[in-house]
Amino acid sequence: MQPNLIKSVGVAWTLLYAAFVIWIYATAPRTFNEATTGASVVAGTYAIDEARFRAARELFGREQYAAARDEWTRADPAMRDARTQFYIAYAFYREGWGRVYNDDALFKQGLESIERAIRLSPEGALRVDDPELKIHSAAELKAELQQGAESSLGDLNPLKIVRERK
Amino acid sequence: MRDGDAPVFEPMNNRRDSNRLLVRHLLLPTIFLTVALLGGLRVAAETGAFLFLAPPLVALVLAVLLMLLFARGGLVNLRAWFTSDHASLTNVSHALTLLALFFASAQAFNSVLPESGLFRWLFAFFFLWTLWNNQFAHFDARVTLRSLAALFGTAFVLKHMLLASIYAPDGGWLKRLAGALVEGVTQGTFGVQESFAPATGYISFFTLALYVLGLILVPSAPDTDERDAPQHEATSLVSRYRQLPDGERALLREEILRTERGRLEDEIHSTRTD
Repeated sequence: MQPNLIKSVGVAWTLLYAAFVIWIYATAPRTFNEATTGASVVAGTYAIDEARFRAARELFGREQYAAARDEWTRADPAMRDARTQFYIAYAFYREGWGRVYNDDALFKQGLESIERAIRLSPEGALRVDDPELKIHSAAELKAELQQGAESSLGDLNPLKIVRERK
Repeated sequence: MRDGDAPVFEPMNNRRDSNRLLVRHLLLPTIFLTVALLGGLRVAAETGAFLFLAPPLVALVLAVLLMLLFARGGLVNLRAWFTSDHASLTNVSHALTLLALFFASAQAFNSVLPESGLFRWLFAFFFLWTLWNNQFAHFDARVTLRSLAALFGTAFVLKHMLLASIYAPDGGWLKRLAGALVEGVTQGTFGVQESFAPATGYISFFTLALYVLGLILVPSAPDTDERDAPQHEATSLVSRYRQLPDGERALLREEILRTERGRLEDEIHSTRTD
């Protein structure tokens, strides 16, 4: 084997392996599964589990929001799919929404998910065309969650009880 | 040597050179980077989750001292590793290997340093003390290696066997008692050691073994033929002779003359007749 070839392969391999070690320490996966998921994200081969996604959508339809969120989290363990993150945020919104008052903790978690969805979507514009949803754009859902999480004088308005959940 | 011998030995030399290059440019960085990867790996006792701990600052300081010791002890002859005679690709590859060795050293320390409490600082202090003292002692590569294997071996036994046993959550009453006594002596300043799964000890053992193996494989001077080794040893011996006080130099000369006089006279005689 040519000495220069061995040296070139050695340098390339060392750089690649060093990058892998740095990546492992930067992402700190807790299990082999997390590590392989992370690796597939880096390699660009990451895809969500569609079967789990559909199962979660069904749970969402039956208003079992916490269970739906769990399924969506399993379907998108790396939290890299904008659509799934949108649905998770929506589940937080639906569960946290109240006629008299909203659950601020759930709304804040919803905000985190929708912000993640916006970051993941190209140019930050995400639209989900699901006929069973009343909010279709990520920006609109974010505004709804922000409004619900904030305390204002409007919270004292008695007419608030006639508003409807989206 | 007969003319026909050359083709027989030539391929063997090529294979040897090729293997040597493979070790130096592929195997060594792989070993050291694996040590760097595994040195900070712990396995949580309760969940079995991986915990990757980056090397603490003190481990980096210890690694710097260790690299200096490698250079002083002759385990790594920097002038031979980096020279203008080498192609730039060779120098780059050597730089990467030594960088990997540095991080592997830091992670080897990380692997045997307790994670918290006074024990961590005690261990760090003793490592620092040992390495600092060694900077001023005369070492050759073999002694450096043996000393390092002993240093890491002791630290491994103390951390992964003694401390782990004392602080094991499912330890017996004796272990608990020993833990409580040690804790009481310092009024709790030892701090509670994190308990990890037994796999952590196995990973650390494998990591340290790999690290020592890597050190054994590191050539002192990369492009020097092993057949030149005696010459290197002689050069080293001469330089050590020059560092000796006059009395010891005279003693050494006398001893050499006593044992080698006959051979020296023969050599002088043959030179004159030539």
